[in-house]
Amino acid sequence: MSVSTVAELIDRGIKAYLAGRVKDALAAFQRVLELEPGNAKARGYIVRIHAVTPSTTPPPGATRPVHPGVAAPVPLPGAAGARPDAAPRAPVEAASSPWDDGPSAVATYVLEPDGGIDLGAVAERPRPAAAPPPEGAGAEIDAWLGAARELFALGDFTGSLELIEKILHLDPEHAEARAYLAQNEVTLTSMYESKLGPLSAVPRLAIKPEEILWLNLDHRAGFLLSQIDGAVDYEALFAVSGLPRLETARILANLVADGVIAAR
Amino acid sequence: MSDARPVIGIDLGTTNSVVATVQGGMSRVIPNRSGQALTPSIVAVARNGKRLVGALAKRQAITNPEQTVFAAKRLIGRRWGAKEVEDARRVLPYALVAGPEGNDVRVQLGDRTLSIPEISAMVLAELKADAEAFLGKPVERAVITVPAYFNDGQRQATKDAGRIAGLEVLRIISEPTSAALAYGFGRQTEKKVVVFDLGGGTFDVSILDISKSVYDVVAVGGDTYLGGEDFDRRVMDWLTFGFARENGGVDLRTDKMALQRLRDAAERAKCELSAAPSTAIHLPFLVGGGEGKSALHLDKQLSREKLEELTKDLVDRCIAVTERTLKDAGVRTAQVGEVILVGGMTRMPRVQRAVREFFGREPCKGVHPDEVVAVGAAIQAHALAAPGGKGEEVLLLDVTPQNLGLLVVGGYFQTVIPKNTTVPTSQTHLFTTVQDDQTSVRIAVLQGESERAIDNELLGEFVLDGIRPARRGEVSIEVTFDISADGIVGVSARDVATGQQQSITVTATSGLTEAELKKILDEQRDDLLEKKQSWKELDEGRERALAMIHDIEALVPAVEGALERSKFGKDAIQKASAVLVRARAAIEARDAAALEAELEPLDRTLQLFRGLADGRPGGR
Repeated sequence: MSVSTVAELIDRGIKAYLAGRVKDALAAFQRVLELEPGNAKARGYIVRIHAVTPSTTPPPGATRPVHPGVAAPVPLPGAAGARPDAAPRAPVEAASSPWDDGPSAVATYVLEPDGGIDLGAVAERPRPAAAPPPEGAGAEIDAWLGAARELFALGDFTGSLELIEKILHLDPEHAEARAYLAQNEVTLTSMYESKLGPLSAVPRLAIKPEEILWLNLDHRAGFLLSQIDGAVDYEALFAVSGLPRLETARILANLVADGVIAAR
Repeated sequence: MSDARPVIGIDLGTTNSVVATVQGGMSRVIPNRSGQALTPSIVAVARNGKRLVGALAKRQAITNPEQTVFAAKRLIGRRWGAKEVEDARRVLPYALVAGPEGNDVRVQLGDRTLSIPEISAMVLAELKADAEAFLGKPVERAVITVPAYFNDGQRQATKDAGRIAGLEVLRIISEPTSAALAYGFGRQTEKKVVVFDLGGGTFDVSILDISKSVYDVVAVGGDTYLGGEDFDRRVMDWLTFGFARENGGVDLRTDKMALQRLRDAAERAKCELSAAPSTAIHLPFLVGGGEGKSALHLDKQLSREKLEELTKDLVDRCIAVTERTLKDAGVRTAQVGEVILVGGMTRMPRVQRAVREFFGREPCKGVHPDEVVAVGAAIQAHALAAPGGKGEEVLLLDVTPQNLGLLVVGGYFQTVIPKNTTVPTSQTHLFTTVQDDQTSVRIAVLQGESERAIDNELLGEFVLDGIRPARRGEVSIEVTFDISADGIVGVSARDVATGQQQSITVTATSGLTEAELKKILDEQRDDLLEKKQSWKELDEGRERALAMIHDIEALVPAVEGALERSKFGKDAIQKASAVLVRARAAIEARDAAALEAELEPLDRTLQLFRGLADGRPGGR
């Protein structure tokens, strides 16, 4: 069994556990132990599942992970020598003034301050004042954070991001979650961008225009698709999309993967 | 004229701008790098921090309205307190602030506060870059057009914008003059011409007397808030209300992305209906369906007839304004020898029909209405840049765009030189004192249309003192206005009895202080030096790249032969051709940085090919 399969099984197990499908989670972790009997993560989750589910299925994340190795923050990729408890490094430098840039060719890489939380936002929305997390949310947040670290370490940045967004929904000022959010976004953005090829490439519609109606898109993907006219490159699409970079990259990568668009 | 130092003509429009040149005696519109003749006069800082100019800025104008500056021409050279600025502040979504001395308008954009000439300079710089890419040479000189009614401050501000963009502005000429020039080029026309200019945001109508090669603007009129965008809005409203009716009240106006697509589609449909009787507006996945439902599509058919019905009153307004302008100028339609259509909106058949019916004659259609102003400017630029400064120079006579006069008692405005007076000109008026023993008078020089001085532009002021004390009305003050061919206004006041005299020369200002302008120009000069360096690097890089491309191509047959006998390097030809394509694209785009990046792969490919051709797999 390849390492990636073990990782996939753990990923599947964590997701099933968080979704409340304890039986599926248990099955996945047990399969991991069959393949790798010494796998600490699978063991940790099995112990946790047994500890909290003697007779009923607990709500996802209702308890704190018991395995100390699982609960510890995971050093981030690329941060060689990083202390295990160190928060993820700042993802990108703040952009200098766009007026200092040359004309259009140079891209400025900036994450939206609220990127990843409200991906659909195009209107200016003032950030709501931080409210304290609801009573009893602490344990839930801890569990989600632990699982988010796990998924991050396994390379499941989308899954990690989903959990981080859940945490920030309850506690918008959660420092570690925000740091992970940024790091997840940077990593995911890079992953999606890598699927696009060079950002200077000009994408075109790879299907007949009348076939667009048969796609299953949301209005944001519809907007981006409408901007693809064979004249603008990917970098320009990031600029005109009005969406956070991650969301734009995700939509474009999906359109490429589905064969809807292709770069020349 | 030698093309060694090309010159360009620029139509710097409220909504779109166009650049043209003269090559080999023929005028030619220069397409932008997207292949379009029209570049939207829009500047933005996108949500990802990138600075956008032109079509890309327009594409995100609705989704990012606070950081997208359009219609800067409405503000250029205006005073902060001017009525036009107040009007603009009510309708523009981006932030306007007063300049440091409180006398001009600034825009808050990104992390900077920019003057209007700086904003216009970005559009001009984009056009300059397009021209350089097209001509393959640096472009440093231009003629820029402005509306005939622009006052001296607005003209000066446009000139400053050109300087900031790195252009020596050879001359500022009026748009109707430029349009007429494009038609009169090479002809011996002698007639009264009406220029009917319905652009994206404004409608201007001008009456010119053309006598051989003399172009004289005799009257101007218009509506500064009537243009193609109003037509687009009618289509958008029709689509929005129709969509709401068909989709349970879904209001597209609440979704900026939907609105952006709607506006683009409305404009496109309007343009298509100039050539076709009907058009389909198809916007799939336009807006979320709500509560987990699929996104909704918009599918509509718009006929030309419907468009004409939706916009009938707008066309009627154009004709009413035209009628009023002709009446003010004392010109009957029968006296009009030609009608020139300018602006994309005049391609609409209903507009053409209305013009034809009003004037009782077919309008000129020889030059594309979107391009005619830029073409005229290019012709003028070409004439001005001709060796010896003469060449085929056409004498352009402009008129004073607005009344010039003085502030008089009661806060009223007294005209000394009426609008539409051909320059150069000189006029003298006698004034008198209004108080007993008055020993000084304040001469406030104003330009504008209003009877109330406060509504007009203050060009300058001075005090004439040393007046002989006398009873009011007994002292005569002679005030003389001189306007040179360059538009410089000189005003002098003289006490007729004592000979005491004072005078000023009014130099129009754009609102930018001298220190600010100097700072901007210094920055621009540094930038220019960098660009010159990059042109030099590009030329050197191009030479090297072309030599290597030539050598690589020459080696291809030998390499193919060698690869036939080898197990290795089967993909070498493919990789090499990719390198050649990229290098050629960089040369074509005159992209020094991209070309620099390709020199090393070219060199590697050449060495590899030489090795393969010599029977040494792997090259050196």
